[in-house]
Amino acid sequence: METVIEILKGVHPEVDYEKETGLIDKRIFDSFDVVNIVGELMDEFDIEITAEHMVPENFNSAQAIYRLVKTLEEE
Amino acid sequence: MSFISIGFALFVTAALIVYYTVPKKCQWIVLLIASYVFYAINGVMNFIYIAVTTVSAYVCAALIEKKGTEQKEYLKANKDSITKDEKKSYKAGIKKKQKRILALGLILNFGILVYLKYADWSIAYINLFRLSFFGRTDFIPFKNFILPLGISFYMFQTMGYLIDIYYGKYEREHNFLKFALFVSFFPQIVQGPISRFGELAPELYKETAFDFDRIRSGFYRIMWGLFKKLVIADRLAAFVRETIAQRDTYRGLYILLAVFMYSMQIYGDFSGGIDVALGVAEMFGIRLHENFERPFFAKSISEYWQRWHITLGTWFKDYIFYPLSLNKGILKAGKFLREHGFEKLGKRIPIYVPMFMVWFTTGMWHGSQNRFVVWGLFNCLFIILGTEFEPLSLKIVEKFKLDEGSFCMRAYRVFKTFWLMSFLRIFDISSDVPSAFNAFRLIFTDWRSFRLARVYEELSLPKEDFIVAVIAILVMFIFDLIQRKGSVRKRIFTLPVPLQWCVLSLLIIAVSVFGYYGPGYDAGSFIYGAF
Repeated sequence: METVIEILKGVHPEVDYEKETGLIDKRIFDSFDVVNIVGELMDEFDIEITAEHMVPENFNSAQAIYRLVKTLEEE
Repeated sequence: MSFISIGFALFVTAALIVYYTVPKKCQWIVLLIASYVFYAINGVMNFIYIAVTTVSAYVCAALIEKKGTEQKEYLKANKDSITKDEKKSYKAGIKKKQKRILALGLILNFGILVYLKYADWSIAYINLFRLSFFGRTDFIPFKNFILPLGISFYMFQTMGYLIDIYYGKYEREHNFLKFALFVSFFPQIVQGPISRFGELAPELYKETAFDFDRIRSGFYRIMWGLFKKLVIADRLAAFVRETIAQRDTYRGLYILLAVFMYSMQIYGDFSGGIDVALGVAEMFGIRLHENFERPFFAKSISEYWQRWHITLGTWFKDYIFYPLSLNKGILKAGKFLREHGFEKLGKRIPIYVPMFMVWFTTGMWHGSQNRFVVWGLFNCLFIILGTEFEPLSLKIVEKFKLDEGSFCMRAYRVFKTFWLMSFLRIFDISSDVPSAFNAFRLIFTDWRSFRLARVYEELSLPKEDFIVAVIAILVMFIFDLIQRKGSVRKRIFTLPVPLQWCVLSLLIIAVSVFGYYGPGYDAGSFIYGAF
């Protein structure tokens, strides 16, 4: 989880990722941010994120992103 | 067999009678036979191309699945002895083999499409090259292929399926004949919509009981589609063509009127055809994906493209945009730029490069002429400009305390988007790129020469036809407005029965009496049917 938050802080350091659950819905992240975060996640965790994972539910909070990473790591 | 003909109506009626008469478990077989009969009637050569796509996709999907099964069995058998790294390396090896099978399927199928669609375009450039550099005048003759009916629609749908199988999104269809039905389902083969396997397959293979309300609902939809196609689109076609062709005579407001009418024409033509397809499918109890969602009410170009030809847009998004955007190479390039002082550029590369590719492909898909590519790239440019200037736009809204939700602001955005998209369609109706720019320039000249009487007298749009067109467009606009709050047909069905009959009678009368059956009339040919 720490690594995920570290990656997210690299994009928007001002956000409280422990509490925020509307990263996409509140337009804190734009499409540029999401794609660049995905790049970092794929690099860091050696996972493959594809079109079907690109839904707001997977990127609305640090917890949701962490869950996505864990799911893909287990595949 | 044309989509809009007595023959097609009889064909659908016969298919419906058989469909609801046979045992329910055989209904999908009736659909398959009907689809292949429909396709064969439209030309035996068509049959060969769809057969190649069906067989190749079926075989490739089977091979991809076989590799996946091999992997599962191997990992199960060796789960205690294999290390994490060995497991990873084994999986990577299998993925590589699956990727090769996928690539083979894609290259074969898209190769056929590209060859049929772009052979003459390539030959023209080869001839030009040979002439310019070697002075050779022995030109390679054009192939003049006639595109098989709806080839790009069933091709995109089937290749989407193959890519999904590769990513493990669905279990493949093991029954070859059921798979053949997924590829060839006749209502959607002429001009879409492009369906996804997960949505369409359960609809096609399910057992459906006869339901009069559903038949009635489908019939309403077909009639509404015919209204848009025959009363609006076909009525305006000749006027648009002539105005643009004779631009030395008709300038300024004439071209502006033609641009507006073309937007109505292409919407009536394409969405009308989709209504017929969805209405026919509904009669069989099959729900197809909607392809339009009131595009002329969009408040930005991005939103417009989420409402126009929705199934092609989502196809490009899922199978071109995201695979490119999430490609490790492009992400690394972006990261490299970000880390070397080009923060903004690096951040944008993984979005804008795939977007460029999507719009380039969209342009090429619309036709093998440069004007379509330019049209696609202008769309791309406007979307990029819209994105880049969004912060400035928000600042202006804030500074002048404008209410984004107010009617005026929404109307302004809808108006702006409609005209921007309509102007871009000049590339669609012009013969080449310079003519399109010239037509655009001529819009702003000679406004004083406009006389409505000349439209009536000289431009294939007599006064009566003009009035019918304006009223029909208004009706279409009002229906779209009502549709914002839910299905218009559902509302009609809540009316007292005599009123329902009145609505249906009016629709039938409108199509029969005001449908455009003038000289050169060819209701069967849909603009998008040639793609």
